[in-house]
Amino acid sequence: MRSPARRTTWALALSAGLTLGLAACGGGDEGGGNSADDPIVVGISLPLTGDFSEPGKGVQEGYEAWAKITNDKGGLLGGRKIELKILDDQSNADRVVADYEQLIGSDQVDLVVGPFSTRLVVPSARVAQEYGMLFVEPAGAAAEVFNQGFKNLFYAAPAVADDHYNHLAEYLLAMPAGEKPRTVAYAAMDDPFAQGTAYGLKKKLEAAGVKTVVDEVYPPNTTDFGSIAAKIAAAKPDMVVGGSQYQDGVNLIVALQQLNYQPKLAAFSTAPTSPEFAKAIGNKTEGILSPTGYSQDAPYESNKEFVEKFKAQFGKVPEEDQANGYTTGQVVAAAVEAAGCAEQGDCQQKLIDWLHGNTVDTVVGPLKWDATGKPQGAHMIQQWVGNDIKIVLPADAKEADLVYPKPAW
Amino acid sequence: MPSGALLFQSIILGLLLGGLYALLAAGLTLYFGIMRVVMIAHSAFLILAAYLAWWTNDRLGLDPLLSLVVTVPLFFGAGVLLQRGLLSRLRPATLTMMSVLITFAIALMIEGLLGYAFTGTQRRIQLGYGTASFGIFGARVAVVKLIAFALAAISLVALYLLMKRTQFGWALRATIQHQDAARLVGIDTERTAGFGFGLGLATAAVGGTALSLDTTIYPSLHWHWIGPLMAIIVVGGLGSVPGAAAAALLLGLAQSLLQIPMGATWAQTVFYVALFATLAVRPQGFFGGRLAQRF
Repeated sequence: MRSPARRTTWALALSAGLTLGLAACGGGDEGGGNSADDPIVVGISLPLTGDFSEPGKGVQEGYEAWAKITNDKGGLLGGRKIELKILDDQSNADRVVADYEQLIGSDQVDLVVGPFSTRLVVPSARVAQEYGMLFVEPAGAAAEVFNQGFKNLFYAAPAVADDHYNHLAEYLLAMPAGEKPRTVAYAAMDDPFAQGTAYGLKKKLEAAGVKTVVDEVYPPNTTDFGSIAAKIAAAKPDMVVGGSQYQDGVNLIVALQQLNYQPKLAAFSTAPTSPEFAKAIGNKTEGILSPTGYSQDAPYESNKEFVEKFKAQFGKVPEEDQANGYTTGQVVAAAVEAAGCAEQGDCQQKLIDWLHGNTVDTVVGPLKWDATGKPQGAHMIQQWVGNDIKIVLPADAKEADLVYPKPAW
Repeated sequence: MPSGALLFQSIILGLLLGGLYALLAAGLTLYFGIMRVVMIAHSAFLILAAYLAWWTNDRLGLDPLLSLVVTVPLFFGAGVLLQRGLLSRLRPATLTMMSVLITFAIALMIEGLLGYAFTGTQRRIQLGYGTASFGIFGARVAVVKLIAFALAAISLVALYLLMKRTQFGWALRATIQHQDAARLVGIDTERTAGFGFGLGLATAAVGGTALSLDTTIYPSLHWHWIGPLMAIIVVGGLGSVPGAAAAALLLGLAQSLLQIPMGATWAQTVFYVALFATLAVRPQGFFGGRLAQRF
């Protein structure tokens, strides 16, 4: 262990006017220098009630699965068990600040990880920054998370909305000039996330000279997609891209099918990965593409173990929220093992520095970050083949080949 | 400049949409005509009917149109009960205002119960012919949209005949035109108003079933419908069924065509622009007399 000497210096500095005991308390595992038995306490505030309670509980399960799986394998740093300390912030941004103040300041937890949703991630990351704590978070993909100047924040997912389609863009642009789609229609919901996905792809394709023939933005309450579909069908683009959530994606696809429009490629965000999707559009799913942040079938090494053990623990398969919580845990664990420490103080900066310079293997694939904590990856691309949705991109994770041009729907 | 084919396709889509609007607005304008009631819950009943149609198809495996056999009488009965039990008990002086509050409460209750019974998951009826369409002069007409349009047209014609050709229709129109005078000539206006209200709600049953054929439904969907429908009945002249139908076709068509140059966000505003214009220029509505003096 490299840290005891540093830690002692720190403890001495702090202990001017304080008792040794208090400093020990601050270190969490100071007593006798042998820390092998003390648990690593991880402080978390989650929206277990209120607006975000559904995803909040999902993330909680992810964290719990991570703690259990890690502890069953003997914990971290040669035998220290993980202990989660979870508070409920009621989906309230004021509450989340108070929670992290309490966890770091008075409860003296060794590590903190993030809550759910951009609205709660930003204020809590600020608290963590003030205390110099590492802050890995499972949710909060919006641009405003990354332009606050945080140096301690890391988003534990493959990509922000704008980068969801990167693998697809790469694939399309690498195609021979004659086969490449030449014209594209975009229809996106007026929502930062949904629009971000479609416009991320649009930017890349336009830069490469692929022509945009329709660019429609519709309000979130739109239910009739006949006219938008008519506009797209009349322009006869090679490819259609939907920046969709759920019902809008379904209704737009049905409206396009009613107009008998057959694109060479159709990509929609979110909707096609929903379990209800195939049924909703009457199984006419053939060839539809969708980016996804997590798949139970992804071949990443730790994913198989995660899915298996998660099923045993909770009696169901993990979805994206659970995977995000688990990924956050994996990222923190990798940093802790590499830096050889887990407590407040200098150790936190070591963890932060390590994550800025390294790649971490997780259930959603290898993750690395830029200086603002934005992940440098892309989402996997899935395609409906037959009656199943399969990973087709990137090449190292694929279960099937991308079918282009797609069969008629 | 959009191509001719796109214009023609948009006109067809607009007419099909307008037909559905017409049926949905017909009931709403009827309530107002009969007793100056603003029925906020109309579209909530619409979604309720859509859910019942979905349930018929999904759980019983029957064609959603068969649900009409149950929902039309059921909604008629519910309308009579609603009018006799709640709305007719409101004080005439505050009737219009209080009816907004009471029907708002009913709308919230229906939305809550739908969420409780069917969860917030978005549902869509699965039909073998859900995406089937046929070509007509280069445009495509979706079979489900055509069925919805036909349902609307048949119901509107039936409603028209009922009001023009039957004794009940005469009584109802008399009640709408002048309640005191109707009572003087021996019409039981209370009972007639109750049945009229039931009739309005029965159109919601048909409209909801038509809607369910080609829409993804969820409990809070009714809020998206009530605004445009209210605008339509004001433009058409409150209380006038033909006025509502004409305004609905026109605005549906306008919405569909305006989407070509303006996009979906701005095209939606056509209803509210028409509403303001009507109130500013011709408050009695463009198609009917003031408070349905004629029909």
